[in-house]
Amino acid sequence: MADSTVEIPALNGLPLDIVRLLSLAHHPGAGAVVLFSGEVRDSNRGQSVAWLEYEAHAPLANTLIAEILAMAKQRWALHTAIAQHRVGRVDIGDTAVVVITASAHRSEAYAANKYIIDRIKHEAPIWKCEHYTDGTKEWGNNCNCHTVTGDAARHIYEHDR
Amino acid sequence: MKIHVYAALKDYFQPEFEVSQLVTNTDELKAVLLTLNDKAGDILSSCRFAVEEGFIDNAFKLNQYDTVVIIPPASGG
Repeated sequence: MADSTVEIPALNGLPLDIVRLLSLAHHPGAGAVVLFSGEVRDSNRGQSVAWLEYEAHAPLANTLIAEILAMAKQRWALHTAIAQHRVGRVDIGDTAVVVITASAHRSEAYAANKYIIDRIKHEAPIWKCEHYTDGTKEWGNNCNCHTVTGDAARHIYEHDR
Repeated sequence: MKIHVYAALKDYFQPEFEVSQLVTNTDELKAVLLTLNDKAGDILSSCRFAVEEGFIDNAFKLNQYDTVVIIPPASGG
């Protein structure tokens, strides 16, 4: 049990240890713990996916994810906010990203969890390359908010809808 | 000026290279990059730029000793 907002690295080149991360999220004041695990599926847009390769700009990603967690903790009065993202090769069924939030009641933990993963997906300098079973690959599924907002720094978030 | 690019930008440029032309802002840098690969216009228009681990905009004054990181749209998760 720990307040682990800042102690846990935001990026990890090894398989994510969800059980350990969850064990760090418990808090005596938290009646709700929400865990989101983003996992690699075997198909995307009609293509058969073999694995994903994640790349990140580590300094910017670490800083940004720490800021997102701090903002979420403050906004929803969370006891714990944890986020960790894989880099490197991630196979089908493996976890690419984990977000864990703990709060007194479930509504705050759910809302904060959605906020955190939403902002990570839109803003954190982390990119996936899809490797397909036919041997081809493609950098893909980029945030395309700029096509609507006209600004690469402005996003449209699901948590705001 | 040193340039580092990531992800899909590596389909257009080397991961790390240098620009010798004098550029003072990101718009000028984009113009130089387009002379290196004129197919990169769409993706460059969607990118953000960073110097010394902080995002910058076109108002930021670049100098020849900067290392500029070009950040494509995120696709994590």
